[in-house]
Amino acid sequence: MTVNIKINGQAIQAEAGKTVLQVAKEHDVHIPTLCYHKDLSPTGNCRMCVVEVKGGRFLQAACVTPVWEGMEIETDSAKVVNDRKMTLELMLANHPVDCMTCDVAGECELQDLAYEYQAKIPAWGAKGTRYPVDSDPNPFIRVDMNKCILCRRCVLACEEIQGRQVWGVAKRGFNEQIVAGAGTTMLEARCESCGQCVAYCPTGALSNKMNYGRARAHQVKKVTTTCSYCGVGCQFDLLVKNNKIIGVQSNPNAPVNGMALCVKGRYAYDYVHHPDRVLKPRVRRYLLEDGKSKIVNGDGWDWQEVEWEVALDIVAKKFAETRSAFGADSMGFLTSAKCLNEENYLMNKLARQVIGTNNIDHCARL
Amino acid sequence: MTNKKIVYHPISPEIEEMARHHGNKPEAALELLKDVQTHHSALTIDSVTDAARALKLPPHQLYGMATFYSMLSLEERRKVLRVCDGPVCWLKRASETREAIEKTACAQNNDKVTIERTSCLGLCDRAPAVLVEDEQAGPIDHNEAWRLCEGWRGTPTDYSEVRNGETRVMTALIGKIDPDSIEDALAHGVYDGLRSAMQKEPVAVLSEVETSGLQGRGGAGFPVGRKWRFVASEKRTPRYIVCNADESEPLIFKDRVLIDTNPHQLVEGMIIAGYACGASEAWVYIRGEYEYQARRLENAIEQAKVKNLLGENILGSTFSFDIHVHRGAGAYICGEETALLESLEGKRGEPRLRPPYPPASGFRGQPTAVNNVESFCAVPHIIKNGAEWWRNLTNDPTPGTKVYMVLGHVKKPGLFEAPFGLTLREIIEDFGGGMLPGSHFNFALCGGAAGTIAPPALMDSHIDYSSGPLKGVTRDIKAMEKRWTQVISMGAGSFLICDQTVSPVNFLRELMHFFAAESCGKCTPCRVGTWRSLEILNRMTSGKGQLGDTDELKSLAALMQDSSFCGLGQSVAIPMKSALTHFGAEFAKVEKGQ
Repeated sequence: MTVNIKINGQAIQAEAGKTVLQVAKEHDVHIPTLCYHKDLSPTGNCRMCVVEVKGGRFLQAACVTPVWEGMEIETDSAKVVNDRKMTLELMLANHPVDCMTCDVAGECELQDLAYEYQAKIPAWGAKGTRYPVDSDPNPFIRVDMNKCILCRRCVLACEEIQGRQVWGVAKRGFNEQIVAGAGTTMLEARCESCGQCVAYCPTGALSNKMNYGRARAHQVKKVTTTCSYCGVGCQFDLLVKNNKIIGVQSNPNAPVNGMALCVKGRYAYDYVHHPDRVLKPRVRRYLLEDGKSKIVNGDGWDWQEVEWEVALDIVAKKFAETRSAFGADSMGFLTSAKCLNEENYLMNKLARQVIGTNNIDHCARL
Repeated sequence: MTNKKIVYHPISPEIEEMARHHGNKPEAALELLKDVQTHHSALTIDSVTDAARALKLPPHQLYGMATFYSMLSLEERRKVLRVCDGPVCWLKRASETREAIEKTACAQNNDKVTIERTSCLGLCDRAPAVLVEDEQAGPIDHNEAWRLCEGWRGTPTDYSEVRNGETRVMTALIGKIDPDSIEDALAHGVYDGLRSAMQKEPVAVLSEVETSGLQGRGGAGFPVGRKWRFVASEKRTPRYIVCNADESEPLIFKDRVLIDTNPHQLVEGMIIAGYACGASEAWVYIRGEYEYQARRLENAIEQAKVKNLLGENILGSTFSFDIHVHRGAGAYICGEETALLESLEGKRGEPRLRPPYPPASGFRGQPTAVNNVESFCAVPHIIKNGAEWWRNLTNDPTPGTKVYMVLGHVKKPGLFEAPFGLTLREIIEDFGGGMLPGSHFNFALCGGAAGTIAPPALMDSHIDYSSGPLKGVTRDIKAMEKRWTQVISMGAGSFLICDQTVSPVNFLRELMHFFAAESCGKCTPCRVGTWRSLEILNRMTSGKGQLGDTDELKSLAALMQDSSFCGLGQSVAIPMKSALTHFGAEFAKVEKGQ
């Protein structure tokens, strides 16, 4: 069913049941939002998306107001623009406005809107003095509630996407604040450090500890890639600066996972440039010498870095020996989710056809 | 990396037992928190977490509640003395009472008393008022404060005497019956309305209420019949009836008096509502400060069950209905109907998105009729005497009678019932006994805390549900501005009369103090707007006004009215705008630091 509405004088046929914001977006009419996110239930908290509806006594929040037949909407009237600007200023009054040194400057929705509306930073207000900075011991997530505008996207992301219900709202009125659990640390409130709350935070209230202060948004190249950890196939953007991966960011267009990532996908990327990372095959020294096992003293197994050819020859020789001595079913193969599908397939071929055993399994099944 | 090891303890058996007592229902979260607090004298992070785990809820939800409701506390308290900090008690020098209480023997010597402020106790006719644990006390003058220690609780106001010109319908039995005796009530014709309703079809009852034109008495004046029609026409069952007895607005105490003097009338009205709407269960959401009234209501409900007026197969019919009493825990916002429903479901009392409105999706997402105490109390009389009779009680466009309250600098403050269409002059002169000697009328706060501040020029303007500043107005700015200068709001029907000694600036500061303390914090304009307005008014009232203060107040009022999420923020603007419109000169004076 469709209804006839007007947005800024333009006649539009809209699908009944859609919100003003959805219809406006479809017709390229810009309405600013802060607490709204397409993945989360709309709440109408922040009042940035207010629009004027003809005949209405109050302004309506576009994110939660459904369209109705004959509705006439003004998205940019003087009243609307004035109210949005003032609402922004009320938020900024209790915000440190330290964009110069803030990690998210450049991709902060609050900053963008303050710029768009040329909001004046009020001289009054709490000004970032209310809460300790970096207040949570979580190893991955940096919490600075002074920058929080109480949009509650973190609360919804944790509840609706991750299902952990770590974040909540406490106190009331001007003292309202976002808390983890019963006023505890995040980990005590069952946080599994997935970082969904960080991904959905429109300001710098929640940011990433691992790459805090490492790069501004415009200094990084974003490389879209698929996570190498498990078989789900999540996509995300690697943040690359000076040819080094410095972080991971959700890519809202990821087909499998959307903005969601797990703690490994989002935060366990530091192995890439880790000095301990093994980049070439290694074999034990005795295999290169006389082939007899011996006890090596001290730490280390007396590993010797070799070329691929050498390593593979040794493996092939050992496979053949074992198979002829003990039979094919004495061997088993375990493959890894960090391999590609094709590689896994080849491993399957190797086990079943070359070696002749059905003993093959995969870590994603564990 | 954090090295802190997180240890999970089993839930304390004591709290588990308390949760079991409430059926482990998530809806019982508020009751459970109250029980835990009563047993341990304070809530702790551990006990809140345990309570949450016992109800299988996330800890943040219960912590959110524990820090939201003013009667819950994470700080250890002893015997709690709540001194009212509302505008009416301010007018009666409650701060002096508080100082005197702090100096009393019981507060000083044995350290067993915790003194707290509270936004309003609903004891405006007994100002300055104090709540001693759950005992209502007032008026407690500062030189009588010492008597609190001896168990003295002030003298309750007696409303059995009928004032000249009153038309008593809902208040007719005040002082004539023992409110705790159903026999007495039955002998005086209470429940006759229910009997005659049960002889009709529910549709006929609904039509009768609709024809009567009864308008909701919580302040908005929405037609009761229409609301019930919405509920009855919803196909989904069960449907619910909810009575809003969270009377937390300063100036308003009528619901308390109605329940106190005749609880059966409310029970009867709710049963009729249930019958008309096809509902099966009802809740009375009564504010936590009204513990006495809650008990009285529970007693009335029990008695009605014994008489088969409530429960299974009422009066031998196939209609079954039950009423529960749910106590709040101190939050003005819970008077907003959707916030009330959230609170009833065991959450923070924050307003919900509308639509859907409660008649379509209310308590537990089911069709729900939420009405004020007074609205329910009017229903039995309409059914008993007919819609025509109700309409003929007055010539005013708003039919029927209203329980009015008049407070402040008048000779006879208190409560009375009269038909709609009074003027301020009539309220003061005819019912309030005139201004106090030496006092002359300066302004009146009309409706409730979120009502208009009316100057002498409006003393003869007509007040009813069509007269509020936000009624029937579109976005025609000129018409709107003109309306601000002309109207008086009816609200819940209370009028606080102030004489020349009260400055409108100081007075507005008191109101803002209330709203800033009671804003729930959900939306930006109200959360920060009320706080900022209070900051400006604090400055103005302490002689530090700055140029531009009035303009900023005006723009904050406009923002809150237009952009706030719910009725609280939207109506904060009403006293602000009307004060600034009518007393602009006074504000301009303090702005310059004079």
